[in-house]
Amino acid sequence: MKVFSTGGDWWGRRTLLLSAFVLTLCLCPPAGAAEGPVRIALTAAAVRDELPFFDRWAAYLERKLDRKVEFVQRRSYREVIEMLRSGELDFSWMCSYSFVEARTSGLVDLVATPVFRGRPTYQSYIIVRRDSAARSLADLEGKSFAYTDPDSNTGYIIPRAMIRDAGSSPEKFFRLTFLTWDHGQAIEAVAEGVADGAAVDSYVWEYMAAMRPRFAAQTKIIQRSAEFGFPPMAVRRGVDPALRERFTAALLSMSSDPEGRHLLVEMMLDGFVVLPASQYDSVQALLVSAPR
Amino acid sequence: MISLRPSAWSLFIKLPFIVCLVVATVAAVIGMGVVEKDRAELRRALSARAELLARWVAAGSADSMLHNDPWSTFLTLRQVVSDGVGRDDHVVTAMVLDRDRRVIAHLRPAENPIGLPLVAPNEDERRLLSAAMAMTAPGVLEADGGQAIEGIAPVVAGAKSLGIVRVRLSTHHLSEALQESAMVVLALTLALTAIGSIIGVGLSLGAVRPLKRLADAMGQLGRGEHAPIMVPISGNDEIARLGEAFNRMAEEVAEKQRLERELAQSEKVAALGRVAAGVAHEVNNPLAGILNCVSTIRDHPEEVGLIDRYLPVIERGLLRIRAIIQDLLIEQRAENAINPSGPACLDEIRDLILAEVQGHSIVLEWDNRVPANVLVNRPQLQQAALNLLKNVVQAMADGGRLRFTATADSQSLCIEVEDSGVGIDPDDLGRIFDPFFSLRRGGTGLGLWITFRLVQAMGGSIEVSSEPGLGTLFKINVPVEGKADGPTTH
Repeated sequence: MKVFSTGGDWWGRRTLLLSAFVLTLCLCPPAGAAEGPVRIALTAAAVRDELPFFDRWAAYLERKLDRKVEFVQRRSYREVIEMLRSGELDFSWMCSYSFVEARTSGLVDLVATPVFRGRPTYQSYIIVRRDSAARSLADLEGKSFAYTDPDSNTGYIIPRAMIRDAGSSPEKFFRLTFLTWDHGQAIEAVAEGVADGAAVDSYVWEYMAAMRPRFAAQTKIIQRSAEFGFPPMAVRRGVDPALRERFTAALLSMSSDPEGRHLLVEMMLDGFVVLPASQYDSVQALLVSAPR
Repeated sequence: MISLRPSAWSLFIKLPFIVCLVVATVAAVIGMGVVEKDRAELRRALSARAELLARWVAAGSADSMLHNDPWSTFLTLRQVVSDGVGRDDHVVTAMVLDRDRRVIAHLRPAENPIGLPLVAPNEDERRLLSAAMAMTAPGVLEADGGQAIEGIAPVVAGAKSLGIVRVRLSTHHLSEALQESAMVVLALTLALTAIGSIIGVGLSLGAVRPLKRLADAMGQLGRGEHAPIMVPISGNDEIARLGEAFNRMAEEVAEKQRLERELAQSEKVAALGRVAAGVAHEVNNPLAGILNCVSTIRDHPEEVGLIDRYLPVIERGLLRIRAIIQDLLIEQRAENAINPSGPACLDEIRDLILAEVQGHSIVLEWDNRVPANVLVNRPQLQQAALNLLKNVVQAMADGGRLRFTATADSQSLCIEVEDSGVGIDPDDLGRIFDPFFSLRRGGTGLGLWITFRLVQAMGGSIEVSSEPGLGTLFKINVPVEGKADGPTTH
């Protein structure tokens, strides 16, 4: 299922539009600094253990928003959803599935979608140890398997849907499954041999393979899922529209700002774009076809 | 040459050897004790460490096991055992098992899949696993036949036992540490042994040298050397006291020798007196006869027949006196003569004896086996042998066999003269060397006495043994190097 067919052309067409948009934003006076910090959640979708990086990104956003910015980490998506619900968070970089779920329940709206290697999409990778004989997910029957998070699209929903599509029961397919709550750790679990296989976010795996290959290099991809909309940055409904606008602009302008570009390079992202909500229709479809 | 028997070794060798042996033994025993204590200590520390690691993992695993979260359990295990506190330990293996022996986490998960029962590769491991599973409190077990120590800790949550943690630490680095200390001990032992040898040699030099001096001095004394023999005394220990005692003894011996010399001198004077009296007596008898003849002839000048009758008597008497005087002169000449010479000088007297033997039916067997390099005092020995042989020949009126044998070793020369004559009566045997004692009519009784005197003068001895009717054996023994105050040989 190819969700995003226009590919690289898409990015080029948007650049001009974005620049104009950023320009208008910069003319607006910044909101008062007296307000509390802007709190942004990070979940398993992001590479979470680069803490110094997030400090730098927060500092960057602080300058753009003229507001204190805090990145908040929680172990599971559910905790993040709860925090959004209680208003403790303003924005969240969340998994596509959680996003669609939260959006459906009227909790969040889409802010921007990261672009990875020219495309605002990602996949689920089924990975095994480099020395494993398994050639596809089907070969992992009766083995141990690491899931990321029960609300993770690529790390839970998609592999289970793949097993169901193959006519098996996800509950019985593996001998043993466990949750690592983080894509990086799922890779580690496979590399260490604790899990015979795992389903991970393609962006996280590629990032790990390129930036910190210690564990990723010990794994190999044996199956790729269809592409889905990249885990987006979402805003809690009820956040000040002006802040939302400024935040959106700050994200979109990163690729045209030297410092922002540098941060993007560190994240191995090309930039952020605003996409129509239909971008996540295929994930939406999973809500129905592949419930947890 | 060093003998293989320790009892034959010199104290110079024995003493350092014993000191070395004692030092090496003591050092080795102490060293082994230290190493053994070290070993026990290290093993105890390693056991405590294995147990601590197991308890640590158990404490960190309770929640994750309860929540069925094997990944967290693995992370705890890895964190504690190989990333964290246990990083410097030689961890052989570590694992968390549930009550059904299923692997919840293992340091080598690839070979020990989680969720499956742990597979024990052999009987020992099976036994160890059972023993570990049976433990209800933290403790340690020995694994791999003593090559490893396994810390065991039950994982307990709310008084419920969920499983156990096993952390196995290798004892290899213990052996390495022990080898190091053993090397140090060995080096110390060698060093102490070397020091011990030096001390031993020092002791030997200090203690054995005076002993050796003492032994040498005693040897000198034993050989009868006259020079004042004294050992230097230093210190006040037993050896010094021994030296003092020896010196006192040496002084006393010297004093005794002096007294002996004086005694010999006075004996000589007394002997001279006896000889003089003998001479006076022996000379007096013929002299009295002669004077009597002379007196009778003078009183009766008219009796011409008296001269013809008494002249032979007077001549006999004078001849007798001359024989006595000649013998005494021979003795006097020979007694003080000194002329070292080879053993061939003995053969020179053979011709003289052959002349004596003429007319008697005597068979002379001459056997001179003295090595050519042996030196003897020629005039004395010749005279002594000659006198003895002459005497024997004169005693063999009926002829017979006369055997002369001369032999020598490094110390002394031995002459044996054996005849097959009539033998000597046991009552006379003790007196035959007395001056003027003669068993032969007309004998001066000085021949054997002269032999005896000369042998004495040479520092030797003469023995006689006789079997009446069968023959007599004379044995002369004299030192080959002559008298102590005589000339010495090279």
